[in-house]
Order: sequence, then structure tokens, then C-alpha cells
Amino acid sequence: MLAPISSIKLEFQKVLQFLNAKSVNLAHASIDTFDSSNFYMRVMKNASSVVSHAACNLMGNTNLLLETVSNFIPLSPYKPFGTYVFCTGNGKLVILRNPDAILQLLFYSSQLCREEECTDIAHRSLQQHFGYENDLQESFQMLNEVYLEPLEQLPLSSDSTISDIATINSALNDLGLSTKARLCLCAAGELEKRKTRNKESIDLKKPDIEKAMKYLEEGYRSNCENRGLGCYDAFKLQETHNDFNANVKRLELAGIWDEIIEMLKRYELPDAFEGLRDWVLLGTRYRRLVEPLDIANYYKHLKNEDTGAYMIRGRPKRYRFTQRWREHVEKMPVESSGESCFWAKVEELRIKISSQGFDPIKEEILQLEAQVQNWINYEELDRDVLLEKSTFKKWWEGLPREHKLTSHIKDLMVS
Amino acid sequence: MTQTQLFSSGLELANFVVSPDILQQAWTAISELYKETSQKEEPSSSVKFKIYEPLNCTIIAFFTWPANSKDYAQGNGGGDFVSSSTHTFFKFLCTKDNPEFSINKPALELFTSIFYELPKSVMANSKPLIITGNSLGGSVASLFTLSLLENFNFLTAKRPLCITFGSPLIGDEGLQEAISKYAAWSSCFLHVVSDQDPVPRVLISQSGVYKPFGTFLLCSKLGCSCFEDPQTILELLKATYSGSPGNQDPNPVFDVYGTFVKDINRKVICKDTTMLPERTTQPLRACIITQLAAIGLVPQQQPHNIDINIITKTEKQEKKLALSKKQVFDPSTKLNQVKVHMANLEWYKKVAKDKKIGYYDSYKNVSHTSDLDVIKDMKTLTCYWEELVNEAEKRPQTVGASLRTRWLFGGTNYRRMIEPLDIADYYNKGKKDYINQGRPKHYIKLEQWLNETPKPAGVPNDSMKQNVASILTEDSCFWAHVEEALISCKMLTGTGSSEMEKQSSRDSLFKFENYAYGLMKNYAVSPEIFLQGSSFMQWWREYEKIMGTSYSSELSKLMKDFRNYDKYATGSL
Repeated sequence: MLAPISSIKLEFQKVLQFLNAKSVNLAHASIDTFDSSNFYMRVMKNASSVVSHAACNLMGNTNLLLETVSNFIPLSPYKPFGTYVFCTGNGKLVILRNPDAILQLLFYSSQLCREEECTDIAHRSLQQHFGYENDLQESFQMLNEVYLEPLEQLPLSSDSTISDIATINSALNDLGLSTKARLCLCAAGELEKRKTRNKESIDLKKPDIEKAMKYLEEGYRSNCENRGLGCYDAFKLQETHNDFNANVKRLELAGIWDEIIEMLKRYELPDAFEGLRDWVLLGTRYRRLVEPLDIANYYKHLKNEDTGAYMIRGRPKRYRFTQRWREHVEKMPVESSGESCFWAKVEELRIKISSQGFDPIKEEILQLEAQVQNWINYEELDRDVLLEKSTFKKWWEGLPREHKLTSHIKDLMVS
Repeated sequence: MTQTQLFSSGLELANFVVSPDILQQAWTAISELYKETSQKEEPSSSVKFKIYEPLNCTIIAFFTWPANSKDYAQGNGGGDFVSSSTHTFFKFLCTKDNPEFSINKPALELFTSIFYELPKSVMANSKPLIITGNSLGGSVASLFTLSLLENFNFLTAKRPLCITFGSPLIGDEGLQEAISKYAAWSSCFLHVVSDQDPVPRVLISQSGVYKPFGTFLLCSKLGCSCFEDPQTILELLKATYSGSPGNQDPNPVFDVYGTFVKDINRKVICKDTTMLPERTTQPLRACIITQLAAIGLVPQQQPHNIDINIITKTEKQEKKLALSKKQVFDPSTKLNQVKVHMANLEWYKKVAKDKKIGYYDSYKNVSHTSDLDVIKDMKTLTCYWEELVNEAEKRPQTVGASLRTRWLFGGTNYRRMIEPLDIADYYNKGKKDYINQGRPKHYIKLEQWLNETPKPAGVPNDSMKQNVASILTEDSCFWAHVEEALISCKMLTGTGSSEMEKQSSRDSLFKFENYAYGLMKNYAVSPEIFLQGSSFMQWWREYEKIMGTSYSSELSKLMKDFRNYDKYATGSL
């Protein structure tokens, strides 16, 4: 999987033929040594480029030469996942879970000692493809497994004699790992450690997020209710000091979440982060609570004139990401969890109607109404959008009479 | 909290760089050019170039006769420089902090001799570009690549790659600084140097004037490794030279590169056999030892005999390099904090509006503590934006442009909100003519950048009318004009001013009228100017008195009917 099909096509076909033939008829299959060693060389060469590129990133290389050269070579996007068990020749089982380390090990465990070995090794590896059953039977009998953890404390030289890592060291020696290989594995371990530490530092920010959100959920919302306005409209009008405070909280939260998203984009958080239940829930709560305020700010300052509609160019990444988290965890279709963008849709419909009239927009309005029905029923959208003074209510009242009479949400609007 | 372990990935980078066949392709192009040229001509000190187009890329190869390069480059003891002030080719590299640099004269002469034959529009092609050369041909290749970077748009096109084989150093510290400041530029240069080639080392003198830039790939029979830090590169170039000093027949050296390029492909599949000295547990040190081993500096069977000095020096440099990379300027980290300050300003503006005075005058008259509180926010914002404008300016045109467009919206908002307050401060001190004499540089720059950016098409004018209540006045110097108008009024009504002065005051007042009316027609000014307590209304009252009630003009018609003020705010004028 690490080599592009174009470079190995010819040889691969022959190898597949060989493997096919062999599985059917063990004795009579043979393959030209030239082909097999060529195949091996090509695959290893491509694997080498994938693995060294990955290793550069693991080691924190910031030289942009990496990018410049990447323009000339297509890199395989495939990565391993899950737990890998590497069988050494003598019955030991080496177990590894870190995907970056597995990638490196896939390459380094197949390295040749000398160039001349190539034909020999190539031939042997193809044969080994059929040897799993036997090897595993043996290994299960011996039960000699070694966990390569913690990776960042891997012994770097093969003759290290410190006792507690002796087992690990001998496993590494059995796999035939050079110093360079060990350094790459060590780097993979360091990266994992760094990611875990980053997550811990983010977890420390949870109380701040909770505090700010609590202010908005309870204090601000009840204050708006007292004024008979929904949060969206109150915020957009910015009349009282409460609205100002809400704005400050909005910016605070934006700062914290933007930092988290930046870390994610740079792959500085553990892979599992985006699926963690508590963060997904927190993200969804945040999105539903604060995105309407961001939308209010956007349209109040007419940013749509400079930048375009909120949904198209203006939507901050922190909302896109948290929405994707929820959709992924709850296995919803992509883009279906758009309840927090309700107000953006309303604003855009208002603008479109004033320039194009009702009929061309009718379809979109019907769609929105259906969604509103759904969201209110599932309590994903706050009922304050239906308040008398809300922009939505006022706008909806302004629609043509025939539409209102037949609309799905006319019952909601009357309450 | 434990320290993060540092690694040095020079070996990995080297492996990555040699995997695609680009080194081979580049070298093939050079050898072909060599063959062609040697069939037609005798060795000379000129440079030849040719464009090749294999399937996956475009290659421009520069060739110079290896035999002559060494002496030619050395010239008069290697001290032959051309300062950047005497030629125009690379002026774009000069910035405020780094106004001058020098280039090796022979290299520059070769470059200029063929400059006009070189293609200017290779970048239009969509295939990635490799520019390559050997010895002085490599120097020419580097200079050519540099010239391409002047107008290169990094956002839309793929970077070219310059690969040189055995080239001498080209420029001084000034040149090195200019290129290394922008990682994107520095990443375009890869210099391949064999341990048997004297030419790259020819210009490393005791005085250390010549400095390397870009990434160096040092090679030996055992392998190769990449190095970026200039000091490390200089040290290792000296340390790894294994040829004999004095006369060195250059032709076998030429072939060395050919063999290297052929073999290195196969070498990556084999294990390295570096043995670490005992008790090496720090990954950084281990990485460096494996790199040094690859370039032939570690005695094979006795790892303890490594020159400890080199290792320690290299380690120190790597740590320094890692640290310096972290300090790159990034305006986005403070952005959300800055937004909080802007929010404070917005609130201040609103409160002032509710008091019927407008934030400009509230600040000018300093009647409330909130007027003083806002000074802190102003200072922080101004610091931030001054720094940003400075940074964007320091970068040469191509790199700075993207920085400017990204922050333009925020910068324009800042300017429209805060500049009026700076104007108030200025006139409060009794000074005059803010626009020409007192205007801080960063406002001028921000306005200039806004004017240079093409506006997005199709902005509906109706929405301007509907939302005029919440906008900031587009012209951030509006209040400066108002203050000047007030000064002109005083000139007219006061004693002690000459007839000529009075006439010029009348003229400027007339101009101001038209200006103000123009703004109102386009709904480009904030309706706060109509608030009772504003300086603008103050001016109007004085002006009305001066001109008399029978005076009629576009502006006076508008202003006399005070219902128009509210109409303007709702966009129904």
C-alpha cells in the first residue's frame, strides 16, 4: 500500500500470479528472481520515501524543503491503525499500537543488511507470505510477547545492558533494527507523549469554558427573556450592559476554542480526541449557545457585504469542527446538524426576498420551515426564536398570506 | 513537566530527498549537456544552459567546465565581491533592516552574461520546475532561481527547486540573512556536496565572509545527510573534505556525483550500521551521531573515537535553531484578545451616542471616567497594529502581500474606530494640519493597503442605506477635516488675520462643505455626527452664523431641516 500502483504494476502482476499459483498448487509455482527482487526494491524505495517523510514530521522538522520535494513525488496517503503484531523469526511476537511507530517499523523491519542480499530476501519474503499459519502456531505455544512501550524510552543502541529493557532490546535486535530505526520509533513515542500532554492542558480549560457558557445560558438568557427578546435579537441590538458582557464572553470562548482547533489542525492532539464523548457534548452545547451570537455580530456589522454570506465564507472553523464531531459520533449525514446556523439562513432569506421576491425563494423557505419543525421538536433549537418580537417571527409574519395558511409551522407560530 | 526531547532529522530529510528520482534526473540533464557541449567546443570559462522536459517536471540545467571552475571562482583570492548597491538584479531582497549584501563576482558575471537569453516565463508551465547546475553552473542556477522568486506567487504556484552539485558559496551574510528569513525562499535551494570535491570549499576562508544558505546535502561513500544551520554547514564542509589539497583533477570529481546519484537510491533500502558509543541516551545526540556517520566522520569500528567537539558544537547549533524557529511572528495568537479591546471601544462608542454626544467629542472633552478607561484599550490596540504593520513592511513585496490582505479587514476596522481618538488628542494639544504633519505612519500604511486592494464586486448599495446607523465613518480622517474647518471659521471671525488668510479659509470651508455633502450622499459617514454635542454640529452652527441665513447650498439645505438627521440614520434621505 505504500507504493503507487504505477511504479510496481508490471512486477506486481507477476507477483500476484505467483502468489495465486502458489496458493493453489504449492509445489509448482515459481517466479523469476529478477522480477521478485525488482518488485521488492520498488516497494521498499517507495516505502522509504513515505517513511522518511513521516519521520521528518515526527521529529519536528520545519524545513520547507520537505514540501518543495513533495511536489515531485506522490506520497501514499495510507496509514496503519489498530494493533500490529510483528513476528520475528524465532517465535517472539512484538506488539505495537502507535500508528506512527507501526509505519516506521513496517519499513525498517524489512531493511536489508547488504545490497547483495536483495534477491535472496525478496524471494524469502514472498515465501513467507504463506507461512503465517505455521509461524503463529509456534508462537502461540511459546507465548513470548513483548510490548514496545513506552516508546520514547526505547534503548537506542543494540548492546544496551540495562536489565529492565533487556527484553525489549532483544526484541528490537531480533527485528533487526538499526540505530536510525530506533530513533524513529523513539520519535513516534515522543510525539504521542506530547499529544497526550497537550490534551491534558486543554482539559484544564474546561472549567473556564463551563463558567462562560453558564453565564450565557442562565444569566444572559433569563435577562433577555425579561425583555421579551430572544438572545439573538437582544445581542444584535446591543442595548444594555448585559449585551456587552455577553459579547466579551463570546470573544473569550472563541479564543479558547480557536486554540483547540488550531492544535487539531496541526495534529497536536491525540487522534481519539475528536471522538471523546465529553468534548463532543461540550462542543455541541457551545455551538448551539454561542453560534447565534456570532451570526448576530456578523450581520450587525454587515460583514456579509465584504465577505459574503455567513454560511459560505464567514463561518469560523470552531463551529464547522464541532458540528462534524457530533455528526460523526451520532452517525448523522454530513451537514445535517445545522441547527446552530438557523439565524444565518433566516438573514440570507431576508436578503434574497428583498432582492428577488417571494416565489424564487419559496423552495428554500419550505425547506427551512421543515427543519425548524424538526429542531424545535427535538429541542435542538431554542423556543425563544418564536417570541413575538423575534426577527424570525416578524419576518415570517411578513410572508404572503397563502403561504402562511398552508405552512407546516403555522401552529408553532401561533403559540 | 519534563522537557520535550529534541530530535535532529537531517538523515530522514536526506532519505526523503533522494527517494524521488529528482537528483538523478537533474544529474542526467547536466551530463547530457556536458556531452553535447564537449562535442562542440573546447573547455572554457563560459556557462551553458539548456531546458529539458521529461514527463513529470521541467529541468533547466546550467553547465560550466569543471576544470576551470575552481580557479575562476577563487579569482583574486576569493575576495571578489559585487555589492548589491551596484546592480539591480536582486534589489528586491533588500529590506529596511538588511539594506545591502554582496555576491561573488565571477558567479554574478556568468549570470549576467546569459541573463537576457534566459526564459522569463517558465513559471507559466504547470509542471514543477527544477533548476540545476554543477560547480559555477550551480551558482548561476542559484542566482537564476533567486531572480524568479521576485515575482513568484507562493500561494498559487508550486515552488521551484534549485539543485546544485559541487557549487562554491555565493554570497555574504547579508545574502544569507535575506534568504533565510523566509522559510519559503530558503526551501527552494538544495546544494549537493561530495566529500571529495574541493570546489564547494574553495571560498571558505579564515575571515569567514562567505556564508551558505538553503539546505546542504553532504555525501560520502557511506551515505548522506542534510544540514540547514549555516555554522554547522561551514564546520562540516571543512571537516569532511577527504580529497588531497593542492592539485585535484576535477574530472573524476565530476563523475563522483554521477556514481553517488546512481547508488544512493539503493542505499536507502539497507540498514545503517552506526554504532553508538556507550551511554548515549539523548535522542538528539544519537541523531547527530548517525548523521555524522553517514557523511563519513565516525570511524567505523570504534565509535568512541568520534571527535566529541563536532558533536557538541552541532548539538548546540541544533538547539539554537529549534529555539529561533519558535519565535516567528504570528499575529493570530493575540487576535482574540485584541477583539476584546475592540469590543470595549464599541461599547464606549454606544454609550457616548446614548449621551447624545458621540464618542469623538466625549473623548475630546474628557468629561467622564469612561473616557480615561478607554485609553488603555487604545494603547494595546495601537501597539498590536503598529507591530503588524511593521512586520508586513519588513517583508519584501511578494511575501508581505499575503500578510496584508489577511489582516486588512481588522486593520481597517481598527483605523476607522481609533484614528478619530488620535485626532482628538492631536487637536487638543492645539496643533494643526494633522493629515499632512501629524498622521502616524501605520494609519497611512493601512489606508494605502486598503486602496490597493480591489474591492469585491457587486456590493448592494441599498444595504448601506438600511444599516447606516451602525457603520463607522469610512474616511478615518473625517474629524481632522472638521477640526480644520473649525480653525478656518475662527480665522474668518477673528481679528488679526489678513485678507489673504481669510480668503483661503473661505476656500477651504467651501471645499469642506462639498466633501461633507458627498459623504452624506453616499451614506459613508456615521449618523453620530448629527448628535447635538458633536464637533460637526458645532462647526455647522458657527458656519451658519458666518454665512448668514440666506446662504443656500446643497449641504445647507440638508442641514437646515433637522428632520433630515433622523432620515439619514434610517437611510431614507
